[in-house]
Amino acid sequence: MSRLNKRSIWGALPIQLLLTVLALLVLIPLVWLFLSAFKPEKEIISWPPTFLNRTFTWANFDTVHKRIDISRYVLNSVIYAFGTTAMAVVINSLAGYAYARMKFVGKNALFLLTLATMMVPFQVIMVPSFLVVFKLGMYNTYWGLMIPRVAVAASIFMMRAAFSVIPVELEDAARIDGLNELGIFSRIMVPQVKSTLVCMVVLSINGSWNDLLWPMLVATDTSMRTLANGLALFVGQYTIQYGAAFAGALISILPMFLLYLFGQRYFVEGMVGSGLKA
Amino acid sequence: MMQRKSMLSYLNKPSRSAYFFVAPSILLLLVFNITPLLASFGLSVSDASITLNQISFVGLDNFTRAFSDARFLNSLRVTLVFSLLEVPLQAFGAMVIGALMVKNNLWNKALRAVFFLPVICSATVIGIMWRMILHSNVGIITYAFSLLGFGKINFMNSAQTTIFVVSFLSIWRSFGISAIIYVTAAQQVSPSLYEAAELDGAGAVRQFFHVTVPSIRSTFWFVLMTRFAGSLQIFDIIYVTTGGGPNFTTESTVTYVYSRAFSSGGDMGYASAMSMVLFVFIMLVTILMYRRMIREG
Repeated sequence: MSRLNKRSIWGALPIQLLLTVLALLVLIPLVWLFLSAFKPEKEIISWPPTFLNRTFTWANFDTVHKRIDISRYVLNSVIYAFGTTAMAVVINSLAGYAYARMKFVGKNALFLLTLATMMVPFQVIMVPSFLVVFKLGMYNTYWGLMIPRVAVAASIFMMRAAFSVIPVELEDAARIDGLNELGIFSRIMVPQVKSTLVCMVVLSINGSWNDLLWPMLVATDTSMRTLANGLALFVGQYTIQYGAAFAGALISILPMFLLYLFGQRYFVEGMVGSGLKA
Repeated sequence: MMQRKSMLSYLNKPSRSAYFFVAPSILLLLVFNITPLLASFGLSVSDASITLNQISFVGLDNFTRAFSDARFLNSLRVTLVFSLLEVPLQAFGAMVIGALMVKNNLWNKALRAVFFLPVICSATVIGIMWRMILHSNVGIITYAFSLLGFGKINFMNSAQTTIFVVSFLSIWRSFGISAIIYVTAAQQVSPSLYEAAELDGAGAVRQFFHVTVPSIRSTFWFVLMTRFAGSLQIFDIIYVTTGGGPNFTTESTVTYVYSRAFSSGGDMGYASAMSMVLFVFIMLVTILMYRRMIREG
């Protein structure tokens, strides 16, 4: 037994070393970004570069405020992320519930139609998607940004899986108590799938907050840009100020970092589960 | 009042209220998913401006034009090279890493939390961060390499190496998710299989190849399928790091479609035709790998 333990300890050492190196490869750039947001421009473009700050300054945050309307971008990101998510939670869970537990004519056809939209990657239909929003007069509006992203087949699928495992006795009891269908859904069923709902909320907020392509297509006006496309356009300009870009990047990461800190479990469950339960 | 009551009771039959449950999602999917899909078929055989004010039928002209457009063919090649660099390395690498942190101890949980972290970064943030870390004059990794005697490497702007850098960044962003997908799959392997292997005297490496790998084969094909389909659509990482440069060596198909449709020209018909060609490739890859995945488990 002790011989075996010794062998597994010596075998484990290089493995743990490898994993540690990989973890550092993920962490160091993020820590470096955090520190650099507080370095003066001169230190950022010095050679040899510094990792730890020689000087600490808040100046980059002032600069980014002067150069772009970043508070507007933050507001737009908040509206996009939370607005889309609020609508998505209601609409996708209603649909998922119906496909899981209700009988109606055309159910299979409608569900297949929903699944079929999963097969078409967004990048493939981005041109006509833009045109639909444009023709509906929603170009450069919050509605145009949010509404097309609300119904998501994968979320409907995920909610359907969650609703379908609830025992039927619960539903029957509620029906005997005189609850109507909406009452059964909202008071009896929704509380049963709370953790799946939280997964959906967390993933949807993170997904829209970090979404780059869609805002680039339909929210191009300076007053409509989100953090993701606003900052991308800012660093795309030739006279880039690195410190200001880092400050902007930090502002963009922080809310999602907090969400991750408190809801890590739901991030993982949502991302892994939505794929594997299929 | 009376009427309202009877309408409510009419709707309250489960079979009828179901339509109200599914209607919003069906309506939205029809307008914003199905319509664009059908429209792309129409657009791909048309000459259309960005506002659709001028539109005319041109038959298969857009497709013949695409296959004689050197920039489009180059973008297909770049997309394929990117996918072949990114996907296998990620699918195999994440499998090994996943297998090394299957046990639910505190250290492994901390590692998983770290590996997952890039998920909270937008492509924009990744671009801002890595462009500076790999900057040819002041980048901190450029500096580290110069200390090792490599000189100042031009990571972001070199026709030979930049495609590797872009692939690396894409792996950096998502290998944590892939690894944890493998962890979840490996945790479902019955412990008795490992015990049996141990009794047969199999060490950790042989257990990995003879117990873990066969049990998570369908997960492997799942990761390969989703990553491959995703990498054929690569856009954001390229847009924020190289913009397709230098000299189009990192210009993927979606990047080219984007620039044709939105940043210059507004050539919606041609852009749609190129999207359709890409769509065919994505579907082929997905179907082939899906069939393999189903066969494996």
